[in-house]
Amino acid sequence: MAAGLKLRLPASPVEDSGAARVCAWAAFGVAAAAIAYYGQDYLLPPLAVGAAGFGHLVSYRRRQQPRGFWRQAAIAGLVFVCLAYFVLDSVGGIFGGQLPQAHFALLLVAVTSFDLKTRRNLYSSIWISLAVLYLAAVYAWDYPFGLFLAAWILCLAGFWTASHLKRIDARTTVPVRPVALGGLAVLLGGAAAFWMLPQPSAHPESPLVVSLPNAVHFQGELENPALPLVQFGDSSGANSSVDLRYRGRLSDAVVMYVRTGAPAYWRGQVFDTWNPSAGQWTAGRADFRTFPPYADQHRLPPPLGPQLGTFVQVFRVLRTLPDVIYAAQPVQAIYFPAEELRRDAYDTWRAPGPIHAGQTYSIVSSLPDYSPASLKAAEGVDMSLNRDPAGLSAAARQLAREAVAGSGPTRYDQVMALTTYLQAHYQYSLQLGHVPAGRDPVDWFLFDARVGYCEQFATAETLMLRSLGIPARLATGYATGDYDPVLNQTVVRERDAHAWVEVYFPSRGWVPVDPSPGYLALAATRFPDRFAASGLAHLIPHLTLGAPASVVGSLGLAGVLPGAAALAVLAVAAAAWLLSRRRRRSRGSAPPGQVELLRLYDRLQARLGRRRGPPETPLEYLAERGRPPLLEEVTRYVNLGAYRGEWPAPEVVAALATKLGAR
Amino acid sequence: MPRARVIGVVLLGVVVYAYGSTSEVAWLFLLAYWLWALAIAGGLYAAWNARGLEATAELRPAEALFEGDEADLLVGLRSVRGTRGPARVSGLVAGRSAGAGAGRVPEDGVEELRGLGTLRRGVVRTSGFVQESGDPLGLFASRRALPDRELALVYPRYASLGALRRQREVEAALAAPRAGSGNEIFGVREYQRGDPLRRIHWRTSARRGELVVREFEPPGQRTLTVLLDAAPKTAAEADQAARLAASEAWDCLREGGRVTMWAPGLEPSAHSWWELLEWLARYPELPAGESAPPPAGEAVAVTGGADRGVFEALAELRRRGAQERIWRLDEVGLEWPLD
Repeated sequence: MAAGLKLRLPASPVEDSGAARVCAWAAFGVAAAAIAYYGQDYLLPPLAVGAAGFGHLVSYRRRQQPRGFWRQAAIAGLVFVCLAYFVLDSVGGIFGGQLPQAHFALLLVAVTSFDLKTRRNLYSSIWISLAVLYLAAVYAWDYPFGLFLAAWILCLAGFWTASHLKRIDARTTVPVRPVALGGLAVLLGGAAAFWMLPQPSAHPESPLVVSLPNAVHFQGELENPALPLVQFGDSSGANSSVDLRYRGRLSDAVVMYVRTGAPAYWRGQVFDTWNPSAGQWTAGRADFRTFPPYADQHRLPPPLGPQLGTFVQVFRVLRTLPDVIYAAQPVQAIYFPAEELRRDAYDTWRAPGPIHAGQTYSIVSSLPDYSPASLKAAEGVDMSLNRDPAGLSAAARQLAREAVAGSGPTRYDQVMALTTYLQAHYQYSLQLGHVPAGRDPVDWFLFDARVGYCEQFATAETLMLRSLGIPARLATGYATGDYDPVLNQTVVRERDAHAWVEVYFPSRGWVPVDPSPGYLALAATRFPDRFAASGLAHLIPHLTLGAPASVVGSLGLAGVLPGAAALAVLAVAAAAWLLSRRRRRSRGSAPPGQVELLRLYDRLQARLGRRRGPPETPLEYLAERGRPPLLEEVTRYVNLGAYRGEWPAPEVVAALATKLGAR
Repeated sequence: MPRARVIGVVLLGVVVYAYGSTSEVAWLFLLAYWLWALAIAGGLYAAWNARGLEATAELRPAEALFEGDEADLLVGLRSVRGTRGPARVSGLVAGRSAGAGAGRVPEDGVEELRGLGTLRRGVVRTSGFVQESGDPLGLFASRRALPDRELALVYPRYASLGALRRQREVEAALAAPRAGSGNEIFGVREYQRGDPLRRIHWRTSARRGELVVREFEPPGQRTLTVLLDAAPKTAAEADQAARLAASEAWDCLREGGRVTMWAPGLEPSAHSWWELLEWLARYPELPAGESAPPPAGEAVAVTGGADRGVFEALAELRRRGAQERIWRLDEVGLEWPLD
């Protein structure tokens, strides 16, 4: 009979170190504080930390006692209560539905802290606090979270140190200066690596999705639009429009954070019907398909043409938005916590209702290859109908023909020629006057004002392309925002609201083209340089000029403070080290007073006009110089020091120096 | 040398880093870098800490120790290159485990006092001492085995056997008078500058290839050779033999005599009181040495009865005119002091 395989972990020692337990509890406290700060949850985290502290105390006092059945049973029961809380809060939102996973982890640590007997138990507590910290990190979009991480890593190091010192029967003391220097080196070195090294992105097609059913249904209600370009009608978006005569307020208010693997345009609604009399764009189609909250590449059509890869975006909405789910196109997978989602005829995703502040959702998009060679080779049957040039004046049509005259034969050549023409001959400005009554807004832009903002440029290019027989439509959304390659995220503000053109290329679908001056004609055509191996020469200027500046800029003046404080601490530490080293060396090499006396003797010789020769003894020199009183006194001290080792006190030398100065 | 913990740190960093690359949570990269930086810093710190540490061990009190005395062991660590730590030294002393650990080892050292209890006769030495050091996190450890070292000798108890009462007064200045001017030949020794040429023993000098002179005893001096078993049956028997031998020597030396300890196949003792005590403290773990029993006017055997060499030596000394006495341990017993 085959012997049964027994998997059994080696016994873990009872943790006798109170300091190690304090560090484990502090690590949990840091994680709970991060949840409280970033989840804006001020009730459960402090309660859990308090309970855990009491639990640690109980565990420490009873660590040598055997585990009792009833206590084990009570703890197991409480764990199940926590699980029930998690399920109820996740599915029904009966406790607010805010951060249910984090709440579950917090409660779990608090309950199990009453049974932390061995070192392994404490490790478990620390790893759960790491999970809590990760949950907080999901919601942490700013640099101060690094302080939470640093505090947690210090707690972990403290736990290791305390438990190790207990193992060797040593008191919890360490050499302060070497350990402080080492700790500082670790923090700065790790931060420098985080700052300088690129962050790889691997297998974004299959993000770990932990989702539970969400009972939010389509409600048919809409908030005021946050996208200032678009005026919303109903929840279907069919009546939404872009009015060229209207321009919303474009402030610096943050709309959302996007944690992204590549900079891209966050596309929202698309419009294909132009009403020249009203100067408005509307969406001509209102049909849609419904999807579950998690739709992956198996449910969605594959992207057309060659792709460079895929990348993940995690959106965190900071102010209430309408039901439009902004995302980089083409979307390959989407996770949005709702009962169902809709995708309209323009591939725009819609939530069941307004997207409230604090909402987070994830998108996986592919990054198409929009290189000139790729687009020039785009061939196939042109199925698009968006080539109606209705509403464009004859002068504008003539202008379009002139702009593309001399360009290459392909659709790509013509599109780029027109885009380049608009970018080169028209100015971008948000300070735009009103369109005169009765004047066509496109003609007014093209021939009168010759200045406009994104909507004018996009509208003009769309209609002019259509006049050339090239299908085009207007896309709206947000530009990338302030991209931070260190945190791999962008800060999207109201002023990033943008409009651009989508041009249909056979076999490639709708390709975004941006005619606004100052923007790339083909945006986001490649991943950012992530790997040092791809060329440090590219990386270093990119980080030097991009990341620090954008990070500091995003934090304002406060962003300078951490760096300045770190530099100040480094400078003070270096100065203190140099000073103490100098003092040590001076103490070790010469007794007090020796250096000062010999310097004084040297000065005195210089004052007397001739220095003592190498074969000359101090007494011979004294006699030769006529035995001046001060030299006699100094010579006596020099001889006492040199031959008897009795150097005068520095105060005596100072008094002699005063005498020399007075002469 | 990395401990298992460092593997855990590196693996945790790898997991965090890998999850960071798939979760788009950039902070995980920072956490991974910090974990790896901890491992690297731990290795560098451990390498720095391993140099400049010195283990110390001594007994308190440090003066002469006799069996039955109580002593404390002071084990410690000292840094010779600025403050170090953490470190630990541990091992066995007199059969008991001893050690000292410190998170911080300053230049003037750290010490840990531990009672060793009642001491037995013999050599108190450190054995299996190991000095461990590493980084404060316990990621890396350096382990160095230290050579065994003698800390102290525990001398046998003794008493004046004439009155059979305990004598504990130790006359430190007492030493055997130097032989050389009497009438009776005591032995030979190496020639030293100043020795009269007429005392050179030419035959022995020719045999050994170096100058050797005759030594003479002062007239009327009592000379005693104590004969002991080379391999006593038990440690308790060896202890009792050492006590009796020390007591015999004590009585002889008090009378101005001269004493030599001898055991078959072992190196004989020198003649001063402290050298005799040292010989008895080490007995029977003494260096081997083939020699005949030294000439003496009096020979005392202290034996358990099993060593034929002792009896043969006693017979030899008797033939050379020595008076003989025997302490039979099976008759005396192992109790001390004697009744």
